[in-house]
Amino acid sequence: MDYDQQGLGELLEESQDLHADAMRSQPELLAEATELGQQPNREGTDRDEATTFAERRRSLAAPVMAGTGLGLGLAIAGLAAGAASAASATDVQILQTQQSLENLAIATYGVALTLPFIGGHSANPVVKAFVMKTRSQHQDHDNAFGSLIKSLGGKPQNSPDPVLLKVVNKAKPGLKSAAAVVALALELEDGAAATYVRDAAILKSVTAKKLTASIMGVEAQHAAVLRAVQALLAGGAAGDIALPPPVAALPAAAGKVGFPNPFFPTAAARPLTEGSVR
Amino acid sequence: MSKNEQPNQMELSERELARLTADLDEAHREAYPKMRESALDLGSQLNQTFGRRGFLASAGALIAGGAVLAGAGPAAAAGRRMLSPAAASPVPTDVLVAGLAASLENLAVATYGSALSAAKAGKLGKVPAAIATFAVTAQAQHADHAAAWNSAISAAGYKKITVANPTIAKSVSAAFAKVTNVTGVAELALSLEEAAAATYLEAIGAVTSSQAVEVAATIQPVEMQHAAILNFVLGRYPVPVSFATLAAAAPISDTKGLVFAKA
Repeated sequence: MDYDQQGLGELLEESQDLHADAMRSQPELLAEATELGQQPNREGTDRDEATTFAERRRSLAAPVMAGTGLGLGLAIAGLAAGAASAASATDVQILQTQQSLENLAIATYGVALTLPFIGGHSANPVVKAFVMKTRSQHQDHDNAFGSLIKSLGGKPQNSPDPVLLKVVNKAKPGLKSAAAVVALALELEDGAAATYVRDAAILKSVTAKKLTASIMGVEAQHAAVLRAVQALLAGGAAGDIALPPPVAALPAAAGKVGFPNPFFPTAAARPLTEGSVR
Repeated sequence: MSKNEQPNQMELSERELARLTADLDEAHREAYPKMRESALDLGSQLNQTFGRRGFLASAGALIAGGAVLAGAGPAAAAGRRMLSPAAASPVPTDVLVAGLAASLENLAVATYGSALSAAKAGKLGKVPAAIATFAVTAQAQHADHAAAWNSAISAAGYKKITVANPTIAKSVSAAFAKVTNVTGVAELALSLEEAAAATYLEAIGAVTSSQAVEVAATIQPVEMQHAAILNFVLGRYPVPVSFATLAAAAPISDTKGLVFAKA
C-alpha cells in the first residue's frame, strides 16, 4: 500500500489549522442567534410561499416515510402556520432533526472505528484517518446545532434519528468489510446533506439557515470521498486509496465518481420532524 | 499480483467504476428539470416583484452598487463582503446575485475549457486520465449551473449573462498564463471552486427568495465536492474544515462590468 503516514499526519495537522479558523467564525454566528432567537422570522412568514414550497417537496419525501406521510404532514402544518412563533418552533424541530442526524453519524463512525478493518490493525490508514476526522467534524456540527437550538429557546436533541437508527442497527451485523461500512456511511452522509440542502430553503431563522448551509457542503464532501473510496474498493484498487493518491494510475472514471449530480439531489432528505424532540 | 495481471486489474477497476458512474446521465436528466423549475420559479417571482421597493427592502437593501446597468457607470467598490448596505439599484438583488453566479460559472466553464485545450496541445505535460475526466465533468456541471441561473435571469425579464466574470477573469487569466502543468491547473481550479462555493454560501444567507436559496443550495455542495476532489488530487486532506467559510466569496461589486439589460 502506498501511503505516507507522516505526510498524512502533517496534512491532518494543516487541516486542523484550517478547521480552527473556520471554528472561530462559529461563535459569531451563534452570537447572532440570541438576537435572532427573539425574531426568527424577521421578514415575516409568507404562508403561501411556505406552503407552496412544502408541497413542491412532497414528492421528495424520504422513501421510508412515504407510507405514513407523517413527517411531511407535520412539516406542512408547521410551515403553513404563519405566525412567527410557529415558524420559530418549526425551525427548532428542523434543527433537532439535523442534530439527530449528527448524533447518528457520530455513533456510527464510532462503531466503525471498533472494527479491525476500519480502526484496527488491518485498516487502511487513510480510511481510518478519514473516519476519525469525519466523526470529529460531525461532533462539531452536533455542538453547533445544539447551541443554536438552545439560543432559539429549544431543547437540544441528544438522541439519534430514530428511523435511521433502525437502518444502522439492521446493517450492523453485515459490517464485515470496509465496503459495507463505506456504503452505510455514504447513506448517512447523503441523507444528511440532502436534508440540509432542503432545509436551507425552509428555515426562517437567518442564523439557522447560515449554519445549515455551512454544513451541507461538508457532508457532501464526505459523500464525495466515500464514493471515490467505494469505487476503488469495488474496482479492486484498494491500494490506490492513499494520500497523496497515485493520480497517474487512477482509472479515468475515478475523476467523476465523487460528484455524480450537477445539482445536489434532495430525494434522500429526511422528513422535517423525524428527529425532533418529542 | 504479477505484472501480467496488472492491466486486468485496471480493466476491472475501470469497468467497475464505469458501472458505478453509469447513472450519471440519468441522474443529470432527473436533477436538471427540477432545478430548471426552481430557476423559472425564481425568475417568475423576481419578475412579479420587480420594481417593488418592498422586494428590495425585504432583501435587506443589500445592493453594493457594483453592477453596471446598460448605459450606467460603475458605482463605488463595496469592499470584499458580498452584500453590504449601499445605494439601491434598479436591478433586484436576487437578479444581481444570479448574474454574479452565472458569471462565475461561465468563468469556470471557460477555465476548464482552456485547461483541456492546453492539455490537448501538450502544454501541460502528461495529463492523467482521471484528471481529464474530472475537468470534462466539472466543466459540464458548471455549464448546467450557469444555465440554471440564466433561466432565472431570463424569467425575470433580463438578458442572460453569458460572459465570464470580467473582474475575476483578469486575475485568472494572469494565473493561467503561468500554468505549466496539471498541478498548476488544479490549484487554479480549486481557487475557482472555493470562490463559487463561498459565494453561494453567502448568497444563501442574504437573499430571501426561497427559490434563489434553493438554486444556490443545490449547487454549493457540488462546488464543495469539486474542491474536495481537487484537494485530494493535490495531496491535501479533502475535507479540511467542519464548516464551509465565506473567506473566498466574491463580493457583489464583482458584478462590475456585467450588463443587466432588460430583455
